[in-house]
Amino acid sequence: MAKGMFVDTSICTGCKACQVACKEWNELPGEPAHFKKKSGVAYPVAVNFTGNSYDNTGALSATDWRHVRFIEQFNESRTEERWFFASDSCKHCTDAGCMNACPTKAIVRTDMGNVVIQDDVCIGCKYCIPSCPYGVISLSEKTGTVHKCTLCNDRIHNGLGTACAKACPTGSISFGEVSELKAKANARLDQLKKLGFTKANIYGYDEAGGLNVFYLFLDSPTVYGQPEKVVVPQKRLPLSSVATIVTAVAIGLAALISFRERGMKKEVEKKANAKSK
Amino acid sequence: MMNFETHVPHWEWYYIAMYFYIGGVSAGAYSVAALAELFGGQKQREVARIGFTIAFWVVLATPVLLIADLGRPERFWHLFIYSKDGVPYINWQSPLSVGSWALLVFGGFSLVSYLDVLVSEGRLKSEPLAKILKLIPRKVYAIVGAAVGFFVAGYTGVILNITARPLWAASDPILGSLFIASGASTGAAAIALVMVRRHIASGAAFERLQYFDRVAMIFELGLIVLMIIVAGRYAAPLLFTGYGFLFWVGTVLLGILAPLQLHRSGRIPGVTVADPVMVSAVLVLAGGALLRICLVQAGQ
Repeated sequence: MAKGMFVDTSICTGCKACQVACKEWNELPGEPAHFKKKSGVAYPVAVNFTGNSYDNTGALSATDWRHVRFIEQFNESRTEERWFFASDSCKHCTDAGCMNACPTKAIVRTDMGNVVIQDDVCIGCKYCIPSCPYGVISLSEKTGTVHKCTLCNDRIHNGLGTACAKACPTGSISFGEVSELKAKANARLDQLKKLGFTKANIYGYDEAGGLNVFYLFLDSPTVYGQPEKVVVPQKRLPLSSVATIVTAVAIGLAALISFRERGMKKEVEKKANAKSK
Repeated sequence: MMNFETHVPHWEWYYIAMYFYIGGVSAGAYSVAALAELFGGQKQREVARIGFTIAFWVVLATPVLLIADLGRPERFWHLFIYSKDGVPYINWQSPLSVGSWALLVFGGFSLVSYLDVLVSEGRLKSEPLAKILKLIPRKVYAIVGAAVGFFVAGYTGVILNITARPLWAASDPILGSLFIASGASTGAAAIALVMVRRHIASGAAFERLQYFDRVAMIFELGLIVLMIIVAGRYAAPLLFTGYGFLFWVGTVLLGILAPLQLHRSGRIPGVTVADPVMVSAVLVLAGGALLRICLVQAGQ
């Protein structure tokens, strides 16, 4: 029975309690700063931080397993505005690109459906990083291995919910059985539609084979920084392999034409003639 | 719509892109050698011997580059054996996993072929070894070996294609083919270069090798055009940034068009070329390196 989370962004207040709780429970250190010279600034600047007060880290990483996105938008005349918040994490995809890509079986799925990295198996080849369509996994400079949200693997296997869901003061993040969470999400979607939020939608029912961590958005997923159509990379592997094999055969034929013995051609013709007789 | 939120692996160009390159040269040289032996027989033996020798010495360097880029280099053996139960492991969905095994198999093939070269040239005298080498018919060995070689040359392109990075995903399914064409062309150029150095770069066997290299380069050029069409606007980081300069001038102009011109007429208008055969081989080899560097780095 898959466990997961439902993130109702319509009631998120952007308080970041989830981010703090995640850091606390999983003992994640602060994001290491990368200092570089920037033109016009006399001293080196930590270039991997945004410098914005609401969102300094900007993305998920090996030490930030949760990330609250702040989306502030105005119309042209600035008479209307909207401010969205969305707490993002690993989605624990049913068809997980990272897990498909892993060459060492370091990334595994537990009996509760969550996708977990075994730190003692990972070799740090980094292939899972570009294979995740959501940009969740990152390499830790400290350990030389990759890290991401585990859906609080230790907590959920001991009867607790995830730390972020526990800390969420508005109930925006709820943890539980995926099927039950879906019922809850559908009911909330109906309610919002009746209230006039016509663009409201659930993100994660079909993407990547179904996401165990899914979202309710008030506008299209791209507004919230999530890809509209997700193709799990390995879905393209059969065609890619066939195309490559066809080319290999074509180059092989080029070699046949280049290197073959002229005499051989005559022999083949002779044989063909003999057969026809 | 393509997703822009994906993360980059931060593969170092001097490890991963260079591995993609020298792996391609080694595998390309091997496949060209095997096919020359298969189709050309005795007349192409010299080309085949040089190809097998290059393949063996170059493939020796590949694990060094691959292991050096790992976050935990000492655990490289996890690629072959699942460390939790000690049982051999392969992930058929992951081109990196299958490719690691293929490289291992290819290493074996190139070692045996190199030993065969040494024995047949009389540089290694060992009766038992000669007997073992005779067990497998050369032609059978050449067919399987060429296939393994092409696999090693091509899977690195598939590795890039099977990701969610915009440039790499958008150029799917071309990169595997492109890297095979480039591997074949650079492999043939490496053989030609050795033949020039040994002063045996003449005669029918050499002409056939050069002819094959031209065909491979034309293939490569066609695949580059196809890749740009397939990738569309996602090809922008490859074509218009700093990598664009390296790609257009380094890979396309100097790495493919200039060697084709040199092959055709032995000279480039307005430029004095002392040794066109050697210069074109060097240009092809440099162009192949830049192709891998541009594609790996522009996608990150």
